[in-house]
Amino acid sequence: MRFFALIVAAFAILSLPLTANEAPTAEHATAHAAAAHDGGHEEHGLPNAAPVLFKIGPLPVNSSMIITWVVALLLIGLARRATKNIRASKDAAAIVPCGAQNFWEFLVEGLHNFLGEIIGHHLVKKTFWFFATIFIFILATNWFGLLPGVGTIGTGHVDAKGLFHLDHPFLRGGNADLNMTAAMALTFFAYWLVLAVMENRHGKTGAEGVLTGIWGVLKHLFAPKGKETGFMKWFMIVIFFAVGILELISIAFRPVSLSFRLYGNVFAGENILESMQNIVPALAPILPIPFYFLELLVGLVQALVFMLLTSVFTLLICEHEEEPGEKAHH
Amino acid sequence: MNIIAAEFTALTGSIHIGLAALGSAIGVGLIGKGAAEATGRNPGAAGAVRNIAIILAALAEGIVFFAIYLAGK
Repeated sequence: MRFFALIVAAFAILSLPLTANEAPTAEHATAHAAAAHDGGHEEHGLPNAAPVLFKIGPLPVNSSMIITWVVALLLIGLARRATKNIRASKDAAAIVPCGAQNFWEFLVEGLHNFLGEIIGHHLVKKTFWFFATIFIFILATNWFGLLPGVGTIGTGHVDAKGLFHLDHPFLRGGNADLNMTAAMALTFFAYWLVLAVMENRHGKTGAEGVLTGIWGVLKHLFAPKGKETGFMKWFMIVIFFAVGILELISIAFRPVSLSFRLYGNVFAGENILESMQNIVPALAPILPIPFYFLELLVGLVQALVFMLLTSVFTLLICEHEEEPGEKAHH
Repeated sequence: MNIIAAEFTALTGSIHIGLAALGSAIGVGLIGKGAAEATGRNPGAAGAVRNIAIILAALAEGIVFFAIYLAGK
């Protein structure tokens, strides 16, 4: 556990020079604005893509990747630490959770109930690990990205006027990198496909189950719903086939919109904080503060939105239409 | 002439994003209005209404990001 104390201490020390660095003198802010004007139409603020720090073989490693590793390590470490002493308690009084364990239990239980209300008891048992991980990880990454020191410590260059420009910050908000959010959205998409097939098996197993599952998914998308007969039935088949194609397009756009939404919110938030510091030089220390709290809220809401949308997408494909035979049981 | 043309391309990009932002802001506002009214009418359903409102607001908001990335072209 000394390791974590060390990490925390390292960040505390790292953020010390930052206050000095950020202490917004009017000269600094105007110089910043002037530098932005010099750059022509190049926008000042965060670059769209996270700067690459170094390469491992052919794989570039950027500052957003590093922050996701740090957050993942922190989360794993905190969770392990909270659950380390669970089995050790022998007497009944010691079983009552407290401290870190209590916090994690509160979080996980709250999420479990929350998801259970939305996607139902059956699905939440199977998919809770995924949605809870997504939520906790996105929330932690978003809030970690708001710590002082993230995005402001790094290497840079000194320009002709003697001003320092930060080119390669060591850390940058993890979700302010489209690769990260796209990776999460595509992971969900793969999991969604597997889950859709598994949930539409109707009790069959093995290869037959998979085939039934795939057929079930296709039926889910293209088959007509309702009980028309005669000519209307054929009409409905055509209509629902067209609807199925539209549905396919909308499904194909889901990973795109999921990743853009999260990236856009976090990236725009970081940009707003920076712009607010530069917009009125005299108010530079005060102006970003309300937006900082807005970003705290946005970080929570976006984590919630990502979890809610993914869980609702899952629910939509896994919902079974009640068949006549099944209806008798209810 | 080229400068004017360049200015106008920049202008259309901004209008494009601005209109998308306007539309989705109205959309999110309507969703919030609906959610607030629904909660006022039936406070017992506040949890369900909130979930639906968050999901729908996220969907309405997503349009702006499409607009931003398409405007970048």
